[in-house]
Amino acid sequence: MALYRAGLLLRTSSRLLPGNPLIFPAAVRTQSSVSGVLVPRTSLTNPPWPEQLPSVDEAEVLRRHAAVVSTVNRSIEQQDFGRLFAVVHFASRQWKVTGEDLILIENHLEAGCGERIRLEKVLLVGAEDFTLVGRPLLGKDLVRVEATVIEKTESWPKVHMRFWKRHRYQRKMIIVQPQTVLRINSIELAPRLS
Amino acid sequence: MVFLSLSSWIRSRGPDRYWKVQEIIKHAKHFRGRKNRCYTLAVKAVRRAFVYATKGRRLKKRNMRTLWISRIAAASREHGMKYPVLMHNLTKTSVQLNRRVISDLAITEPRSFLSLAKVARARQQEGFRAALGDGKEPAGIFSRVVLLQ
Repeated sequence: MALYRAGLLLRTSSRLLPGNPLIFPAAVRTQSSVSGVLVPRTSLTNPPWPEQLPSVDEAEVLRRHAAVVSTVNRSIEQQDFGRLFAVVHFASRQWKVTGEDLILIENHLEAGCGERIRLEKVLLVGAEDFTLVGRPLLGKDLVRVEATVIEKTESWPKVHMRFWKRHRYQRKMIIVQPQTVLRINSIELAPRLS
Repeated sequence: MVFLSLSSWIRSRGPDRYWKVQEIIKHAKHFRGRKNRCYTLAVKAVRRAFVYATKGRRLKKRNMRTLWISRIAAASREHGMKYPVLMHNLTKTSVQLNRRVISDLAITEPRSFLSLAKVARARQQEGFRAALGDGKEPAGIFSRVVLLQ
């Protein structure tokens, strides 16, 4: 109903206004119920920016930034964030992990079973009330994600087969990849945000 | 002690065609129709299946990426933003999260995703402001735009 009323308003107002000059006035029927701009609205009708860009006060932005940083640092000091999760880049893949997670890596790892390793490329850490996003990585002194190598095994045999009909071409290969299972032990945050 | 393989040993006398057949048939046990017991039909079907599996492993990566993209697109529309805008501005701010993680965040961590959308929005505004300037002509340049005005 509201939409209909708005359309009606638009229509009456456009009739009252002097209207847009058309290139071929004869091409438009005088009794037509359609009025206003006849060119269809596309993605290029309007520029992508809004009419009035909101103004930015540099001092205000800096003050707000400092307030946010101090609040987050305080909550890290008091350890009153909930359960943390982190996005780590490991084995050319990004993993969203939390404490006590198991992750399966499709490759061999230098570290032996039972060894504790540190995942250093942390892209993002999320808590209950704040999220730290690295650009692209978070500092090593800020966050510490540790994992233990639990198991080293092999994948199930995957059959790689290529076949070209009527060309007597057939290749079959069995691919077995080494796999490693990691247990995420802990995600720790230090109040070093700047 | 039970010899379960005794009957197999008896059959394996002579040429080892039996084992060759079993090697193929064991992959076709769950197929439908005569393919799961007739060697001539099973050979063709198993070969087809292996080729499909090989191609499917590549296709899966491609399909998953399109799935993540459509999920991110839907989630970013919730915050009044289009998918290309979000990804472009996140790249510009050098946030190197991949599409899999961003779509995971959009599903399981809506507040983190909202903060990412806000970062992208801020970068977009900044870019517009830099591109539009302060609406004045640059000093020392005489252009046709000035003449028309």
